[in-house]
Amino acid sequence: MSEVVLAARGLRKSYQSGGLRIEVLRGVDIALGAGESVSIRGESGSGKSTLLNLLAGLDTPDGGNLSWGGEPANANRRATFLGIVFQSFYLIPEIDALANVLMAARMVKAPGAVERARAQDLIARVGLAERATHLPAQLSGGERQRVAVARALMNAPKLLLADEPTGNLDEQTGDAVVELLLGLCRETQTALVLVTHNAAYAAKTGRQLFLRDGVLNGSNSVAVSSR
Amino acid sequence: MPWYLYLACKQLFPSGRFPFFTAISVLGVTLGVAVLIIVTSVMGGFGYEIRRMIVETEGEVDVKVTGYLSDPQDVLAQISATPGVAAATPYVKGVVGVQANSRPAYPLFRGVDVGTIERVANLGRFTNPPSAIANLDDDSVVLSSQLATSLGVHVGDKIEIYSPLLIEKLKNDEVFLPREFRVVGELYIGHQQLDSSTIYGTLRAAQELYGLGRSVHGIYVRLKPDVDEHAVVARLNTTLPRATTQAYSWMESWADFLWVLNLEKSINFFLLLFIVIIAAFSVMSSLLISVVRKTREIGLLGALGARPRDVALCFCAQAFIIGLTGTAIGVGMGFGVLAIRNDLVHGIARLMQRQETLRQFYQFSDLPSHTLTSDLVMTVVASIVISTLAGLIPAWRAARLKPVEALRSE
Ligand SMILES: Nc1ncnc2c1ncn2[C@@H]1O[C@H](COP(=O)(O)OP(=O)(O)O)[C@@H](O)[C@H]1O
Ligand SMILES: [Mg+2]
Repeated sequence: MSEVVLAARGLRKSYQSGGLRIEVLRGVDIALGAGESVSIRGESGSGKSTLLNLLAGLDTPDGGNLSWGGEPANANRRATFLGIVFQSFYLIPEIDALANVLMAARMVKAPGAVERARAQDLIARVGLAERATHLPAQLSGGERQRVAVARALMNAPKLLLADEPTGNLDEQTGDAVVELLLGLCRETQTALVLVTHNAAYAAKTGRQLFLRDGVLNGSNSVAVSSR
Repeated sequence: MPWYLYLACKQLFPSGRFPFFTAISVLGVTLGVAVLIIVTSVMGGFGYEIRRMIVETEGEVDVKVTGYLSDPQDVLAQISATPGVAAATPYVKGVVGVQANSRPAYPLFRGVDVGTIERVANLGRFTNPPSAIANLDDDSVVLSSQLATSLGVHVGDKIEIYSPLLIEKLKNDEVFLPREFRVVGELYIGHQQLDSSTIYGTLRAAQELYGLGRSVHGIYVRLKPDVDEHAVVARLNTTLPRATTQAYSWMESWADFLWVLNLEKSINFFLLLFIVIIAAFSVMSSLLISVVRKTREIGLLGALGARPRDVALCFCAQAFIIGLTGTAIGVGMGFGVLAIRNDLVHGIARLMQRQETLRQFYQFSDLPSHTLTSDLVMTVVASIVISTLAGLIPAWRAARLKPVEALRSE
């Protein structure tokens, strides 16, 4: 493993709900090198989204530690260090596809010609060159998710986190989005964490992990999980 | 441009469709500002007219004498030589008794120096005929129209005037006959307060009525244009003999009256400011709705790396932009309406067939308007500040949202 992009040790997270304490994550370890891709599978409610939010620094763990690129994770670095793709696309409805991609750059600094060119390029790479000036409402679900992928890659992050990116898409569209995601990450040497239910998509990643009973296991537990 | 300003603009004015919600919020502020500007300007206009009335009947500075000034010529010369003074005229004023058609009245008799009064005042503007004051002789007077009406006299009629000397003479068992004067004109200034019963006569007539000889009660002073009246008043008070004479600017002489006028205007301003405050509530509620509607997008902004402070600024900026836009349009609208105010007033009067009433009620058949820079600045600053404050609660709500929870919300 060349350079460690993501390293988490003993991540724990529990939720208090109605007097009941649910321990969702009970010590998750994960490490990811540059350009590496892993998939995470697990039953619905097993804590995949919770884990991804912790890895993204959107939520604070109850215990354990997390580092990005060898340094402690810090919300101020999020915009430049990682990109996130969600199941829902969460595009800003008032601005067009290109502006949505540029929005990621705006979070860092006012975009100039370089950023605009990069956004144009990314829009073209996700196959939406013709639709750059369309508003989200004028795009299909698959097209919106492509915009979200381009947005996640806008700041040339070291790490891309994708939480069931095909969950709201039909099979064919989903296939295309996953291909795009994997292809772009390989091309740009971006590490990828892909949360998915689909075994075929998972098989395309470098490493397959399973979240079960609050811990992450390697591919050897395939048999247990898919019994 | 920071992202929050960019997004604030885009959320208010989305590309490709009419910004309906924004337009409604802006409209509220616009109406409030326009009404504030129209009302303060018209009230300012009345105030300005009143100022002109005062200055055009009494000049800008009144040099009042304790008792009376037996030799006004020296003081007059001294005043006229003071820098900033354009002209000065002596006066005598006091209450007299009047009887006509068996009706009594006790008006103020103002004796003016016919030769110099028009250099200081501009009474011809208010009299009918305009030359009435200039043509006064020692046996003629001009009555304020209110007095003429209550006495039932007209131009050409005679009235009898009893002076306070009468009482002295009665004490000494002397026979005293009232003096008879011819009414040669009527004076109509157009403001209740200023139109209170007054008689204008010559200085000599007043001196005789009061048994003053050559003495006067004071001197009205007209200043050169654009001279600071307070500076001239200060200068006059250092050169004139302290013990007997004291100069007052018209603002000091009319301080109580001006204070009431100003109070009326301030009360109106604060009452009308409530329109802006109510408009601000509508801005607040529409922004609050927007925060709720955009919860997931706000969560996304957090996921993209936005700091809570910047999210708050995004909503504050929206309130500020609404306030700014509404105020700008409101100022334009206010001045637009003021520009056509007379057409509007006459149009309404015509519609209601009340043109004559209007002309009778207001001496100026046109609506006056005078916008003070200070009122304009107050209106603009107050409405922008109030609108921006309306953004604070929505901004705080938005900044408090945790990205994870916002993204989970359905
Ligand atoms: N904010 C929360 N409050 C209470 N319980 C939560 C909260 N977020 C997640 N959970 C619970 O944690 C568990 C894991 O949720 P999640 O990470 O969304 O699962 P997955 O993404 O694997 O479907 C679920 O049982 C869910 O009900
Ligand atoms: Mg999930």
